[in-house]
Amino acid sequence: MTFYDLIVKRIKKAQEADSEGPVTNVSTSAMLTAEITLISSLLVALIMLRLVSNVLMIVAVLVVLFAAILSMPLMPRLKKEQNDSLFNMTFYVVLALTIVIVLFYWGSLNV
Amino acid sequence: MDLLIPLMVIVPIICALFLNLLHKKDRTIKAIAITLALILPLLPILASYGMHYFGGYAPLTENPTLSTGLPSLITGTALKTFHPAITYSFQGAQKLFIFILGLVAFLAIMVSLFETKRPSGVYGFMMFMGVASLTAILLTDDIFNFYVFFEIAALATVGVVLVSQVKGNYETALKYMILGGIASPLLLLGIALLLGVTGNVNITDIISSLKSGMVNPQNPVILMACGLIVFSWLYGSGLPPFHTIKSAIYSKALPHGAALLQAFSVFTFVALGIIILRIFSYLPISQMIILGVSLLAMILGITMALLQTDIKRMFGFLAVGELGYIGLGLGLGTAYGITAGLFQAVNEVLITAFLFIGFGTIYYQTGESDIRKLGGMMIKTPLVALLVLLAGFAMAGVPPLNAFQSKLMLIQASIQAGLPELGVIMILMSIVTFMTFMKAFHAVYMRPKPVELEIKNEKIPQATILALLVFLAVCILFGLFPHLVTGFLQTLSISLAGGMP
Repeated sequence: MTFYDLIVKRIKKAQEADSEGPVTNVSTSAMLTAEITLISSLLVALIMLRLVSNVLMIVAVLVVLFAAILSMPLMPRLKKEQNDSLFNMTFYVVLALTIVIVLFYWGSLNV
Repeated sequence: MDLLIPLMVIVPIICALFLNLLHKKDRTIKAIAITLALILPLLPILASYGMHYFGGYAPLTENPTLSTGLPSLITGTALKTFHPAITYSFQGAQKLFIFILGLVAFLAIMVSLFETKRPSGVYGFMMFMGVASLTAILLTDDIFNFYVFFEIAALATVGVVLVSQVKGNYETALKYMILGGIASPLLLLGIALLLGVTGNVNITDIISSLKSGMVNPQNPVILMACGLIVFSWLYGSGLPPFHTIKSAIYSKALPHGAALLQAFSVFTFVALGIIILRIFSYLPISQMIILGVSLLAMILGITMALLQTDIKRMFGFLAVGELGYIGLGLGLGTAYGITAGLFQAVNEVLITAFLFIGFGTIYYQTGESDIRKLGGMMIKTPLVALLVLLAGFAMAGVPPLNAFQSKLMLIQASIQAGLPELGVIMILMSIVTFMTFMKAFHAVYMRPKPVELEIKNEKIPQATILALLVFLAVCILFGLFPHLVTGFLQTLSISLAGGMP
């Protein structure tokens, strides 16, 4: 079984567990595209760390790449997290507020 | 003072109140609403640039007659430069934004009146109140006045969803209000902290207090205020973590309502983004956060759109993803980048409205928005299919349409700013956006029609087709002559970038 088949199989398995209707070619290819887009854009974004340190950039890219490959597929989990549940939304809202305030307060005073 | 400046806010408010009084008088509502909606894009064209002072007067430095005879305690100190009135500033960028908002509002209201069998005065009220709020948000130089209209816009958004009669609309509207119940008071708290430290709510005065050294710019209270204002910016525009609820809001509104709501989000994004850049640009972290959040919005919005099966939800997520492009332009902090970002904002408002109204014809004809249950609509409506296809080309940035110019400018700006990685991500996201669009287009128009699909309304109203043609014409016009837009934005962009090119 090739690496591609392995990814598709895991995506189909995750979609079936999600039980949002039948798994089709379109839904699987959409999920696969989203998966590749997510990982590739994250990796490209991490290259910007070169402005801070080249070593940090290389380490971050390698760590994220291996973590992403090991935990594939990411998109079904991400989709599950970004559902319409008020509890999930409130959790992420509070988390975002905390991150923003911490970044502004300590990020501005200590950088 | 030009009286047309306050009229840009007053006219839609009067329209809203008047329509509400005429509830259930269908024909009268239709005639009045269309006539008054037509005035919305005309007012900014007719108005002259300038300032308007509500409930006060111009700063004493600009009005020597008033300052004559006043004690030196006032005329000899910084007090003479302060703005005692609620100040509305109408310049080139505001002219363009309010014109585009008025145009989208006019077309959305017109489509809603012709697609609805019994026009609702309440629906018209909500749409006009939203337009009035956003116009005030774009004009005001007073951050507390901004907050008041920010809240009215949020309520109008909820109202548009509540009267849509789409399944699940009440629950989504309630969730949006609950999350707004967290974010809006925090914006007010941020404004209160700024008022407490600087003694002012006028944005120009706050900036001069920070620049002149009257207030320590590194004061922790100001940093906290900035954090709170940035957080409410995420809520107002639907950036992560509010992207899920914002896309849900679009999907639970009627397509013409969603077309207008996304314009509200984009202009809130732009107005609050400009305020953040004006006041807090001295903090490097503010630009980094704008870039980071925009990147996240783009990645999450577009990848999530790809996974949706509901057209309205799909374009809701795409609308959030497209906000990322605008944010990247603003976050780059260069005049060229900011111009590109604001140009993209104008284009996004037009194109997303174009798509919502275009695909909205499917919802109008079938009452269905799930792509798994749709198909074969090309045979029914070939002209609309062509127009929707062109709207999709516009969103993906295909030349000679408008988003091609703004996305090209954004990529050039990112390379000039030393961040070519952002350009690569933008190209990648444009490709995925186009793929998402084609997934929906193929399912709705090119696949065979499912047997169980019932066509409820055979004929699409002429007003809807006219609206789509107008959107297409504007997209082509701005694509062929981008300076028609960028010319209005350059002064603002240069001032936001601190005079840097």
